[in-house]
Amino acid sequence: MSDIQDQARFAKIADLWNSRAKGLITEMDLKIEKADREGVRIRMPFNPNFCIDEEGTILHGGVLTALLDSAFGLANFLAIDDVKTMATLDLRVDYLRPAISRADVIVTADCYRQTRHIAFGSGEIWFDKGDKENVARGMAAFAITRGGGDSLLDKLNTAGPGG
Amino acid sequence: MNITDIQARCDRVPFFRFLGFTVLQANETDLLAEMPFDERHIGNPVLETYHGGIIASFMEAIASVHVLDDINAPPAKPINLTIDYLRPGFSGKLSTRATILRKGRRMASLETVAWLEDETKPVAKGLFHFLLV
Repeated sequence: MSDIQDQARFAKIADLWNSRAKGLITEMDLKIEKADREGVRIRMPFNPNFCIDEEGTILHGGVLTALLDSAFGLANFLAIDDVKTMATLDLRVDYLRPAISRADVIVTADCYRQTRHIAFGSGEIWFDKGDKENVARGMAAFAITRGGGDSLLDKLNTAGPGG
Repeated sequence: MNITDIQARCDRVPFFRFLGFTVLQANETDLLAEMPFDERHIGNPVLETYHGGIIASFMEAIASVHVLDDINAPPAKPINLTIDYLRPGFSGKLSTRATILRKGRRMASLETVAWLEDETKPVAKGLFHFLLV
């Protein structure tokens, strides 16, 4: 694919991902900041519903895991041209420091290796407050199927409003 | 710890309310909870299946509660987790059981399993480590 075609495809996927999102992705209010074959960067604003304390100072680890899983999905979608279906096979997350901040959360992820059946992803999470020290890191493997025509992109395109 | 106290503690956690699970059983080794499906749990917008991160969060939540010594103990610190996704998480009531594999003075290791209708056909299995100090 040419660079221009690539750019158009990335923009379309990012746009679809935003407009067709449901459920948790919508709740997390994610904003895609970078999306290309090399990886993604996504921003999540602070949300007191995702905290473990009523004062809203500490994010639950599960939210970080969910963010990584979401980012891996988008990264695979961008990196693999003919992906038809995608399922998380396994996911490993290290919580490197307590998630104490009300700053936006930034997640980066990339699909660093793809085979016919499997995609491998790696990602990092930090708070947008200067130091960029990782709060969590994750690795995942995805089972993928490939095929022309009936791609995930087409399915998302044709599914009616609300799924 | 009885399940009323455990549920009351869970209900004070904003993110646990977001998940919306109910604790059903608690004993020395196991904690069992169930969670009704909700639109906000969706991951795949086409299939409307559970988000993998919601399944992981539910498992981490009940593991983190199960590992506590008493109901007023400070939250355990999650170190890391590994999750195997075994079957599609179709919409429906999701059950999760957390089992303590080992609990020492500094660290604890818990295994979790999540299923839809049949516990012998799990949707996911998890392994969680917590720091207790």
